[in-house]
Amino acid sequence: MGDILGLVGKRLGLGLVILFIISIIIFFMVELLPGDIAQAVLGQGATEENLAAMRKEMGLDQPAIVRYLGWLAGAVQFDFGSSIVTGKAVSAIIGERFVNTLFLAAYAAVIAVPIAIILGVIVALLRNSIFDRVANVATLTSISSPEFFLAYILILYFSIKWGMFPSNAKISDGMTLADLLYRTFLPALTLVLVVVAHMMRMTRASIISLLASPYIEMARLKGAPPWKVIVKHALPNAWAPIINVVALNLAYLITGVVLVEVVFVYPGIGQALVDAVSKRDFPVVQACCLIFAATFILLNLAADVGAILTNPRLRHPK
Amino acid sequence: MPKKKEVLLKIRNLKIQGYSDEQWVDIIKGVDLTLHRGEVMGLIGESGAGKSTIGAGAMGYARDGTRISEGSIEFDGMELTTATEAERRALRGSRIAYVAQSAAASFNPAHKIIDQHTEGPLQYRLQKRMEAQEDAMDLYERLRLPNPKEIGFRYPHQVSGGQLQRAMTAMAMSCRPDLIIFDEPTTALDVTTQIEVLAAIRDIVEQFNTAAIYITHDLAVVAQMADTIKVLLKGSEVEEASTEEMLSNPKEEYTKSLWAVRSFESPQKHRPKDGVPLISVKNVDASYSAGPKILNDVSFDIYAGMTVAVVGESGSGKSTTARCITGLLPPSKGEILFKGTPFPPDYRNRSKDQLRQCQMIYQMADTALNPKVRISEIIGRPAAFYSGLRGAALKNRVDELLDLIELEPSQYYNRYPPELSGGQKQRIGIARALAAEPTFIVCDEVTSALDQLVAEGILRLLDRLQDELDLAYMFITHDLATVRSIADEVVVMQHGRVVEQGPKDEMFTPPHDPYTDLLLSSVPEMDPNWLTTLLEERGVDNIGDAATAKL
Amino acid sequence: MSYFVIGYYALLLAVSCLAAFYNRRSVFLLAFSLTLVSFVLGIVGGVGALKAVAICAGLLGLTAMVSYAFREFLIALAPIETAKELRTAPLTAAFGMFVIFTYAIAGIFAPWIAPFGEAEVISSAFAPADENMLLGADQLGRDMFSRLVFGARNSVGLALTATIAAFVLGAGAGLLAATKGGWFDQFMGRFADVIMSIPSLIFALLMLSIFGPTTPVIIIAVAIIYAPRVFRLTRAVAGNVVVMDYIEAAKLRGEGTGYLIRREILPNSMAPLIAEFGLEFCFVFLLVAGLSFLGLGIQPPTADWGSMVRENATLISFGDITPLIPAAAIALLTVGVNFVVDWMLHRSSGLKE
Repeated sequence: MGDILGLVGKRLGLGLVILFIISIIIFFMVELLPGDIAQAVLGQGATEENLAAMRKEMGLDQPAIVRYLGWLAGAVQFDFGSSIVTGKAVSAIIGERFVNTLFLAAYAAVIAVPIAIILGVIVALLRNSIFDRVANVATLTSISSPEFFLAYILILYFSIKWGMFPSNAKISDGMTLADLLYRTFLPALTLVLVVVAHMMRMTRASIISLLASPYIEMARLKGAPPWKVIVKHALPNAWAPIINVVALNLAYLITGVVLVEVVFVYPGIGQALVDAVSKRDFPVVQACCLIFAATFILLNLAADVGAILTNPRLRHPK
Repeated sequence: MPKKKEVLLKIRNLKIQGYSDEQWVDIIKGVDLTLHRGEVMGLIGESGAGKSTIGAGAMGYARDGTRISEGSIEFDGMELTTATEAERRALRGSRIAYVAQSAAASFNPAHKIIDQHTEGPLQYRLQKRMEAQEDAMDLYERLRLPNPKEIGFRYPHQVSGGQLQRAMTAMAMSCRPDLIIFDEPTTALDVTTQIEVLAAIRDIVEQFNTAAIYITHDLAVVAQMADTIKVLLKGSEVEEASTEEMLSNPKEEYTKSLWAVRSFESPQKHRPKDGVPLISVKNVDASYSAGPKILNDVSFDIYAGMTVAVVGESGSGKSTTARCITGLLPPSKGEILFKGTPFPPDYRNRSKDQLRQCQMIYQMADTALNPKVRISEIIGRPAAFYSGLRGAALKNRVDELLDLIELEPSQYYNRYPPELSGGQKQRIGIARALAAEPTFIVCDEVTSALDQLVAEGILRLLDRLQDELDLAYMFITHDLATVRSIADEVVVMQHGRVVEQGPKDEMFTPPHDPYTDLLLSSVPEMDPNWLTTLLEERGVDNIGDAATAKL
Repeated sequence: MSYFVIGYYALLLAVSCLAAFYNRRSVFLLAFSLTLVSFVLGIVGGVGALKAVAICAGLLGLTAMVSYAFREFLIALAPIETAKELRTAPLTAAFGMFVIFTYAIAGIFAPWIAPFGEAEVISSAFAPADENMLLGADQLGRDMFSRLVFGARNSVGLALTATIAAFVLGAGAGLLAATKGGWFDQFMGRFADVIMSIPSLIFALLMLSIFGPTTPVIIIAVAIIYAPRVFRLTRAVAGNVVVMDYIEAAKLRGEGTGYLIRREILPNSMAPLIAEFGLEFCFVFLLVAGLSFLGLGIQPPTADWGSMVRENATLISFGDITPLIPAAAIALLTVGVNFVVDWMLHRSSGLKE
């Protein structure tokens, strides 16, 4: 067991180091700005006094490294300073929105993961049949379409032509869960369509590569019925690839959510990011980027740790 | 001693097709096979002969990408080609069992060995779990596995290859089948391990009077195991006869040529009385980046125009020694001398002239030749690179080299390696080495991936070239027959050390170092009684891993 | 029951029976499962749903015919070796090639194909289609069709440039890392890990917010984001080649890094790299489309599909599909490229077995 703990610990450490490097990239990239933040925000016409006041207020008179350490220390406690545009605390702007985004992603994931894995296993079993080919074309089409294309098609049919679901996913505090699920159904469905296609393809590929292994043939030649071959011989070895597929796609959800939030006017962190980018509100941009990157790394980490934990060679060392 | 009894398996005009290039092509072209109860039949043939496909076919099983297109397979009165999948499945494991080539890959890594063993008996409701486990331990003991009570409770990756292969044989026996298909069960093993597995398999098959189909490409192995032998070539049968008859009196030309292979022997040369060795390996230690020591104080000399065979099992360090000589792996201690002066340890620091002196020929001609480069450039590049030949002079040189390796220049000049056969590719590899005009060539298992006949041709060619061009060879091999036919001197290696070395004639006559003795005695011979005699001489506990451990 | 419905089921059942009779299992399965699905659809959605199914099937049939004809056309034109390979292409791949071919023509000859200039205002905002304007006008009264044609040049051109930039960087570094090995390999691998740990769209937004959404910035940003992915793949592909004995033979001969990469490694890594180029192009194209949809891509008045969707999005709420056309144009090209890549990957994996 010591080996496993060591490996997991190593992987966790690596994740932390990467996150640290990314925080450096995110912070110092802004430093590459021609001029400085104050100039970028106030524009060419700003007077020297205004600039000086702004710099003072933002602490730009201090060296970058000091500001970085301060920012990092804040970020660890979810305090990212305050917005340049509105002056409000960044954490107040994105805090609630982050929860909303997680809600949407979780909503999509809860629907998508079981469907995708079950369908993936089914197409893997029916490989090279007509259904497999149709599924191949369908999933390829789905992952090739931009999210906003799928989103607008869903809006056109489900909300405008048939009037089944609202096209605007505005949510407010007092809503019941059923109401929330109803209002956010279309954005969730858009995400589901994209992610299911991805996950199905990956599940299919990993199952098929597994079915080609000699021990599966051995199980067949021992007379094991097909369900037993899958459940007893393939599945115990398929956990690592499946966990990997799920984690990768959850990570993909996190990015895909940005475009979907914009289309459906959903108050999530993605929309905050897009707003901040067009207004050049750097503290908000930096905070959003760091949060997205952290989530992304966390999910990849989960995949790796899952793979380590389910590997029989590592669980039962020599 | 063929046991003429009731017919167990009757295959008639079996045709199996494989799917390649978008169409179905015949890979088995109408094979007949009759197997009686308790009889062991050896299926033998070169790669691509379809032995393994017939083996699977005998279970009514077609691998992915193949299909049984014609013929009948009758097992104990039941027609398998028309039976339902469920009926066929009910036979597998219970009445026909299978032992695969790679036990390490064929055991499911996620389950304990004994759980995989008892799967069959439990599924067919032959035994309760406890009984099945008891039975498994009994079988493990009969197969002479160490710690039979405990070994089943390990996971496959915790057990060595030879032991796994025996555990798989035990698993095949778990339902006491009427027929077992052994699909090259010892091909992946070292000779000293192989003999132990062979002895165990033979014993258990005899004890339970099980019929078996034993698939292999090794004549000597099949001679020990089988009552009758069937020779296959490209999906068709060549001939079938009892083992003694097949060995003493083969009828078909093809079979005779297979048997004749071992006749070639190059006259043994001896060291010049007082000369400087061409290559001298002096007290070399080596390891891969901070890993454990692979080579430990290795020393030997190679004289100009002579062949030194380096013999040992996998992991003995023979290839690593070659990498030290060529400079791919700089030794951590010791040095390589060329005509008495040290070679720079790293090939990057060697001059062009030093590099050209020492060339390599590889085991796998497929990976040794760039598939995207024409033959003319493969051979021409070293000539242009070292000798600066251009234009017509270069073309002449390439033609000359192709002549030297007995390939018609005009025919091969513009072709690519994938269009050639294995033997032709190996010849191109030789021509590439010769193009550098070396004095010394490392031959790394150059014949072990080739079918016997082709290998023989390559050995003759190498021998002729040695006489014509005064080349020195370092011949890395695990095959003692090859050593007998071409070597002048022999170096035996084990665990990164030189165990014994000397002229060939001395090495093949006792007394030996115990390891050399074990190695030499473990190599199967064509005599069908070889294994029996050997077991009588040495005793079952003095072969294989057990014997290695005692040394 | 209308004649349409009767004809519809009669046709499907006839096809199923014929397929079953002639033992065409997959055709039968498809036709009969479609019949069963149609029962449900017909009950739920009425004649309209069945008509939609019929139209879809008709469209699919037409597409299949176009693909088939185009494949035959290519086979007739191509030299023997290429033709032999093309014969193995499934219809989907032929369709993909047809799409790529059409887009290439539209992009290259845009000024001659488009009836109006890309920024030319010729009518009122959102004017419907007439004999002048195939697809009507956009929010400023510019011809949608002309902008769509010019978009092929701008959007695809930008994505292609960015992909090439990413490829030159990534593949170059990958080949070098595989050949050199050692600390350079290690360092590049770690560096790629770090860059790939930032979600691509987020990283692009960060860079665009800092340097402003201009074309060179987009290209550089995309190249930086995707180069590590290309690096990883090239490193893996070249890594498989580098362990081959012929590379060792060339090294022992004393060949330099340049020769090794050019003559030995590259020719053997070409097939997967080309397939990867197609895949990366799809990712880049979708990313760039996403950026322009967010208003951070190619800036107006240059015609660009992503921003055309956003500018005309309001029409959706009136049930008008105009804004979907540029989005469909994006999807179509990506689908096409993916189909071709899928075939290529299938071929190369099939050859390995």
